[in-house]
Amino acid sequence: MASITFFSDDAAVTLIEVAQLRKVFRRPDKRPGLAGSVRHLVERKFVDKVAVDDIDLRIDAGEAVAYVGPNGAGKSTTVKMLTGVLVPTSGTVHVEGRVPHKDRIANARRIGVVFGQRTQLWWDLPVRDSLELLRDMHGLSDAEYGRNLERLDATLGLAELLPSMARKLSLGQRMRADLAAALIHRPPIVFLDEPTIGLDIAVKDKVRAFARELVAEGTTVLLTTHDLGDIEDICKRIVIIDAGRIVYDGGIAAVLAEYARERTMHFALAQAPMSLAPIGARLPGAVVSEGPSASQVDVTFDPSVVSAGQVLVAVQSEVEVVDIRIDEPAIQDVVRRMYAGELRDAPREGPDAPP
Amino acid sequence: MTAADPVLPPRLPVPAVMRANRSMARTAFRSLVTHQVSFLFGLLATAFAALSMLYLWRAVLANGPVHGFDWPHMKAYLLLTFVASSLVSSYVDYRMAGRIREGDVAMDLVRPVGYQRARFVEALGFGVYELGTGLLVVVVAALAFGGVPGPAGGEALVFAASALLVFPLRFAVVYMSGLLVFWTQNYIGVQAGRIAVVTLCSGALVPIVFLPLWAQDVLAYLPFVGMAATPALVYVGHLTGSEAWRAVGVQAFWVVVLWGLGRAMWGAASRKLTVHGG
Repeated sequence: MASITFFSDDAAVTLIEVAQLRKVFRRPDKRPGLAGSVRHLVERKFVDKVAVDDIDLRIDAGEAVAYVGPNGAGKSTTVKMLTGVLVPTSGTVHVEGRVPHKDRIANARRIGVVFGQRTQLWWDLPVRDSLELLRDMHGLSDAEYGRNLERLDATLGLAELLPSMARKLSLGQRMRADLAAALIHRPPIVFLDEPTIGLDIAVKDKVRAFARELVAEGTTVLLTTHDLGDIEDICKRIVIIDAGRIVYDGGIAAVLAEYARERTMHFALAQAPMSLAPIGARLPGAVVSEGPSASQVDVTFDPSVVSAGQVLVAVQSEVEVVDIRIDEPAIQDVVRRMYAGELRDAPREGPDAPP
Repeated sequence: MTAADPVLPPRLPVPAVMRANRSMARTAFRSLVTHQVSFLFGLLATAFAALSMLYLWRAVLANGPVHGFDWPHMKAYLLLTFVASSLVSSYVDYRMAGRIREGDVAMDLVRPVGYQRARFVEALGFGVYELGTGLLVVVVAALAFGGVPGPAGGEALVFAASALLVFPLRFAVVYMSGLLVFWTQNYIGVQAGRIAVVTLCSGALVPIVFLPLWAQDVLAYLPFVGMAATPALVYVGHLTGSEAWRAVGVQAFWVVVLWGLGRAMWGAASRKLTVHGG
């Protein structure tokens, strides 16, 4: 079966092709306590957990795709099947025409993988040693290695990290080193699985800038995240997954503009207000509601209609504010709205379609 | 600027593979050296066990040889099986099982190296350290206990062959027991069981000749004696000529069979792999 499809002279090459992909994990169904464990020895019961449920996906060369969904949606499981770590329960996966779990080593030489919660670095050794080990595993010449390292150093600021022991790095430093480890062989396909998880804003921005640069160089990138902030100016296409199924595959701009614009400001007040109506009157176009307790107020607004400053002024001129917190739009909300029928599954836009 | 040269040879040329192997072994060795203190404590524990064995056997053999072992040859036998037993220590499977349980095995699988080969080469790197420390303990012990007799004459080649086969054999057994964590989830029990079986059946605790006859007959064809006793028996002259070569043949047979079984087991295990979260 030919799985690399060549289109005429546009050369839109499908690099990743996934069809009817399923992954079911089988877990022992034990009753609690020792009695349950003993009973499990005799009467073995299992429960199936469907992590990925009948997914179809095609990604062309040079595309940057955001693969987004709430925690536990099946994002990582998909990536692990694309990288050859996990064997699918059924369905097919092809990466550059190879079946990753069967041709794992050849596949590994063509891809770069970052799992945000794990590290490729040898914990007890300086970062430089881990990179040199990867150089030898990938069979890079010293010249190639030097060039690639220099290029990574320019964007990731590696020089200061190279002599440090991996276990002594901060989370942000570790992520920079891990990005270098995943990309030292300049793979044409890169999987970034939650690369910003747990990072502070400054490091997140650095990682995002790095991802943008990869995309600009023509690398095919699949970026997995549950943080909508990660994807805005990196990817044009978004695939949203929930409970193992793809619920949306299309342009990113539409999703973000329509469904992820809203911010919510949470106010803690000195005392419970008599009524919320006066605040509402000052803020047409925003939704003012009572928070979890009577002395808390939530204001949901669209920043393109009302600014955060205006909301603050409006609330402060009616009641005494003790504390404020702003919620960024969360992917869970986008998924929830999708189920409410607010977002239609749009036909997929090609990588060259206008955003 | 494009991402990378799309044309890549499907396999690395042999010199590059050797370089990768050397690099993996060196990295493993260096990382073990950073854990020196904990490793040396473990070594101290086994050294004390060896010491008590030596005292015990000296008492047992005080009234003359038993089953063909006199005290000097028993000393040589015990010290050699001690060196053999220090190879492929529990560091290999402990690390492996931990990474499988925690899901870090995912990181081993995105590297362009076969899993079993990578573990073997790492074990070799650890092995350099284990062999060095093991020999050190043995030399000190030999001096403290008044030296050991030299090797039995004319068996140098068969001894070398047998000694070389100890490492891959030990690796295969330890590797497969490490893979069991895919089925058991918990490794502590498996490891304790493995250590007990190997110690007893490899002749590292008691020479096989002290066991009941039926057990000797069974063990002669199992892989365990090749993990420690075989080269030691050749050294002290209990295995000679064609009998010695046959024992080496049994070792080689098991190396090939267990290497293949390890691959098959990995194939089955990787289908059971569950990695949740990042």
